[in-house]
Amino acid sequence: MEKILTAVLNFLPLIFAFGFVVPVMAQLMSVADISAPFGLSTIVFALIAGGLWGLFAQIKGRWI
Amino acid sequence: MTAATGDILSADLSSLSDAQLMKLERQIAKKHSGMFPWLMVIWAFGNLLCWLAVWPLVLLDIMPLWLGFIVATINMSMVYLPTHDAQHDIIARPGQKLRWLNEWVGHATSWMIILPFEVLRVTHLDHHRHANDPELDPDYTSHAAGPWAALWRTVKERQPKGQRQNDYLASLERHDRQGLILLTLAYKLGFFAILFTLAWTGFALEAFFLWWLPLQIAMTYLVFYLSWAPHHPGTARGRYTETRSWKSAIGNIGSMGMQFHIVHHLHPYIPLDRTPAAYREMRPLLVARGCELGDN
Repeated sequence: MEKILTAVLNFLPLIFAFGFVVPVMAQLMSVADISAPFGLSTIVFALIAGGLWGLFAQIKGRWI
Repeated sequence: MTAATGDILSADLSSLSDAQLMKLERQIAKKHSGMFPWLMVIWAFGNLLCWLAVWPLVLLDIMPLWLGFIVATINMSMVYLPTHDAQHDIIARPGQKLRWLNEWVGHATSWMIILPFEVLRVTHLDHHRHANDPELDPDYTSHAAGPWAALWRTVKERQPKGQRQNDYLASLERHDRQGLILLTLAYKLGFFAILFTLAWTGFALEAFFLWWLPLQIAMTYLVFYLSWAPHHPGTARGRYTETRSWKSAIGNIGSMGMQFHIVHHLHPYIPLDRTPAAYREMRPLLVARGCELGDN
């Protein structure tokens, strides 16, 4: 249990990115009628952009 | 003001001893404390119900999301102060008949800002004991050179590697309250689980605009007005120097009653809504003590 908890906490920025940032990004793009570039679908674009943002937060320890 | 207090306050206070000044100060504090703070109880549960009501209203398209966002941001900003009075046992002290209500006000509302009531209580009382101590004041990370730096610091401190959360955990460890560390984690993970579930079931924007973003705005506002402004510059330690009175550009209500925070640190059992009146009566004594009182 402790190991699972530690793992979750260690990767919280990445988990937050895929759990929350990605769907928020995708739904914001849909509502604002913004198309994803390079012919990507909205959700694929959100997964890439949100995932990279989460990776940045994971490595740097900050979102901004 | 009692006749005796009034007579002495109109006299030359410089001739009074430390003990006499303290006696007068306590007389004024006593006069403004001990009453049941109805406002805080109504505020706590009214605010909670209002925020809970926003969710079905928005989800059922009765209220537009932008309006829900504004209401939720106000609700989040208003969560802390009733719990703050409860942290200081102002609604009812241990052993009193309405003690359960004091604890209910704290527990029933603090979860909205994802912090267990007991964590707020332990860390806040630590702040009172060690205000402005770089090592022991859990709120020390709100210190900054000016208002813009303070706003930026509140944002920085909420980042994954922010120091503020470590200071809160250290405070809990010093008080041997490791159980509260686990409870804090449970609150945070529970919050994320709710956000993730809403987000991946088609309600990402509602979760974002009714909880996550209002919480971020509220925490910035709360730390700025409740922590940075009343303690700035925060370099001195001591009963009469660790906090101050100051004039807020957005008034006393806009700054959540923190213009008179000095009275709260001196006598934390005075309800929030009585601190302005207590301050006005206490002011000559505070001047005699050499307190920083600004233009108030």
